[in-house]
Amino acid sequence: MSATEASARSASGAAATGAATGAAATARGAEAPHGAPQLLLDDVRKRFGGVHALRGARLALTRPGVVHGLIGANGSGKSTLLGVLSGQQRPDAGRIVLDGAEIALTSPLAALRHGIAMVSQETALAPDLSIAENVFLGGRLVRRRVRGIDWRASNARAAELLASLGLDEDPATPVGRLRPDRQQMVEIARALSQEARILILDEPTSSLGDDEVQALFAAVRRLRARGVSTIFVSHRLPELLALADELTVLRDGETVAAGPIADFDADRIVEAMVGPAVAERARARSGAATRPAAATAGSTTTTTASVPALRLRGVGAPGLLREVDLDVAAGEVVGLAGVVGAGRSELLEAIFGALPASGTVELHGSALRARDPRAAIAAGVGYLPPDRKHQGLVLQRSVADNLAMVATRDAGRLRAPGGAAERALVGEAIATLRIVAASPAAPVSTLSGGNQQKVALGRWIAARSRVLLLDEPTRGVDVAAKAEIHRLLRAAAADGAALLVSSSETEELLALCDRIVVLARGEVVASLTAEEASEEAVARFAGGHA
Amino acid sequence: MTAALPRRAWAATHRFRPVLLILAALFLLFGVTQEGFLDATNLRNLLTGVSILWVLALGMTFVLISAGVDLSAAAIVALAGVFLARALGAGAPPGVAIVLTVLFGGLVGAGVNGLLIGRLGLSFFVVTLGSMTALTGIVSLWSQTETQFVTARLLREIGMGSILGIATPIWIMAATLLVALWIQHRTYLGRDIYAVGGSRVAARLAGIRTVRTTVVVYGISGLCAGIAALIAVGRIGAASPQVDNAIALQAAAAVLLGGTSLMGGAGGVGGTVFGVLFIGVLQNGLSIAGVQSFWQQVVTGVILVLAVLGDRISAAGGVRPLIAAARARLAATADRPSDTANEGSSA
Ligand SMILES: Nc1ncnc2c1ncn2[C@@H]1O[C@H](COP(=O)(O)OP(=O)(O)OP(=O)(O)O)[C@@H](O)[C@H]1O
Ligand SMILES: [Mg+2]
Repeated sequence: MSATEASARSASGAAATGAATGAAATARGAEAPHGAPQLLLDDVRKRFGGVHALRGARLALTRPGVVHGLIGANGSGKSTLLGVLSGQQRPDAGRIVLDGAEIALTSPLAALRHGIAMVSQETALAPDLSIAENVFLGGRLVRRRVRGIDWRASNARAAELLASLGLDEDPATPVGRLRPDRQQMVEIARALSQEARILILDEPTSSLGDDEVQALFAAVRRLRARGVSTIFVSHRLPELLALADELTVLRDGETVAAGPIADFDADRIVEAMVGPAVAERARARSGAATRPAAATAGSTTTTTASVPALRLRGVGAPGLLREVDLDVAAGEVVGLAGVVGAGRSELLEAIFGALPASGTVELHGSALRARDPRAAIAAGVGYLPPDRKHQGLVLQRSVADNLAMVATRDAGRLRAPGGAAERALVGEAIATLRIVAASPAAPVSTLSGGNQQKVALGRWIAARSRVLLLDEPTRGVDVAAKAEIHRLLRAAAADGAALLVSSSETEELLALCDRIVVLARGEVVASLTAEEASEEAVARFAGGHA
Repeated sequence: MTAALPRRAWAATHRFRPVLLILAALFLLFGVTQEGFLDATNLRNLLTGVSILWVLALGMTFVLISAGVDLSAAAIVALAGVFLARALGAGAPPGVAIVLTVLFGGLVGAGVNGLLIGRLGLSFFVVTLGSMTALTGIVSLWSQTETQFVTARLLREIGMGSILGIATPIWIMAATLLVALWIQHRTYLGRDIYAVGGSRVAARLAGIRTVRTTVVVYGISGLCAGIAALIAVGRIGAASPQVDNAIALQAAAAVLLGGTSLMGGAGGVGGTVFGVLFIGVLQNGLSIAGVQSFWQQVVTGVILVLAVLGDRISAAGGVRPLIAAARARLAATADRPSDTANEGSSA
């Protein structure tokens, strides 16, 4: 801790002198090959009403062609800082220095002119247009004076860009048909086609499977070799340690540690993120959250004899799912593994009645007749969708409204909301999930990504659902909160709930589940007990049929 | 009771502050320059003059919050008017006819617009444009393009009378506002409407009855049209065979001026009231000043756009960022005329 903090402080001191004298190369010249950092964000401050999102954040890219990791707990200000850098947010104070010259970033377009491009987390692509069209969106297709757009040349250039990222798709393919990670690549290609020199990726891996993450990393490394820098946000420590050359850690809107990646290890990063005191507690807690393997394996065998809480027989959907049979016992946590497109999300949707499907779904022995979300909820099923912004939350509404939405769905529609019972429910959810919000009345859109995720999950805990279908339950959630959510889910299971959890992170499933069911092309290809399951085993089955 | 309450009330106006400020300015302007503007009779005329718009706009507010628009509201007013005249003509007691008329409006809104949009998932624009057109035709057919005179005293009281010295339409305005505020703030229905408008998918996945909510929303708009029909018929003592569909658009404009979002999920009836008053004050003040009433339309249109623009500017953090963002959006769509898209897929 002290070492990293010292390095952060000395770095900022050096930059301050550099700025004060106006000379580009000062003390830092010794370490950085090109003298002053390529990019420096210094003492950035930003307030949203009473919330200090940034209170003196600092981030420096030491040289062109560097991969810079950015990490911090949920709500520590990462997205806000990158919003400032990409021209989407105006800081209250602070300097941005690019190649030794102070610049003003008043809009995303201005940032782009300086070669700074943000690859948004929600893909901003036109799904019906081809890859080439999307890459050159904005009037930059190759044109000929008489014939208009030269499609052959445009496609060729798009193919070239894709190839440089390690992708061999046909540039005429509509983007909507691509897998999510490939879509992300198209966005990166677009940024590159605009001569971006600094690429910003805010949690690019949160929706990707392990394979796709590797493909993305390969692309980022290629870019590094070409002198394009990448700023990369992730809550997954191993990823950062593997990919980043240097790291900045934010805590409560302040830079608390920064330096070359060699100065860090996982413990030190966590400690910097949460502060030394909390780190100690978090370590103790995450230890408790890991599944006691022997005990749960025993409970699984005993419960399989009784009626399962959730029983699927022949659940199918044309082109998506084929004859899925699956049992989840009360008190059991079953994981769904598989590559993106294997049908994990579709299976959860089908059970919840959000996707038309054939076959039977039984809950505690009685078949679910009506196949729609309301009927499923009435039967005690809860469903956390993978996309919290559009499916999991009503963003404009308050934290309280969103938390109480499910629990109060059957109250008389002309009755007054916000009664004492409802407030207690909301208060309890906020407390157990440790949701950080200005107030329960704050719009959920003003929460940081991880806290939004907790609200999306919290509504089902508030509704006391007995069967929980969770699609990427910890997407975008920081390490400490992730351990907490795992602990909560284990507690829910210990309390008799049945959990079916889909995750693109095998590691998460291994830590959380009693059993892992592997899907490939909409079919169950393996069911592994906790002892049998391992990263390799899951990958073998998941890949074998893909 | 201390300064906190006014401050909170002021903070709650942020969505419709432009129209609030302009309204205050207009009030001052007309109050100072136009003799008689602040007279009790004139203020009464001002309010009764916008009573139909007021009632329609309150219903329309919920439609906009639910991410829709009801273009057929004015057509339902006319249709309910003919219904009222026919019911009275058929010998229904006025009290019963009045209740039936309001319900009839609600039924048309819920049964036609609500079901088609909610149950079948058709676009609100197509559905209400279609029902507006069809209902306009039905009004002409049903009334045989003849004015249907209504002589019932009760209706004249509704349109022209007064209770405790205050015009009946003003009482109706107050009553509908109270009910609308109650729905918005004090019922789960109100929450549902915001949730459905904010994200229909998210609402559905949370177990909210999205179809029923949509049906109810268009039903509310229809009920308001039914109430407006009572005032309309009462005022002129007849049901007109003419449909002024522009009133529905004017109501939508008042709602937008009042800060409710066309995208749904945000806004409220509090702002709508000021949107309506703005139109009313402008109309009234200009007519006292002897300015042609068409200017009211010009100014309303311009202010509507300016209010939205002002909102965008403050959201973007200045004029230049707004222009820059707009340019970026334009640039992003520059390659997308339909012919090139076709070429693209064949390439
Ligand atoms: N538009 C806004 N209005 C009000 N508060 C905001 C707004 N945007 C962000 N905040 C607040 O600023 C703080 C920082 O948020 P930010 O999104 O930058 O966090 P983050 O580090 O990206 O977190 P996460 O890992 O959860 O994505 C949070 O407390 C958040 O609630
Ligand atoms: Mg974030």
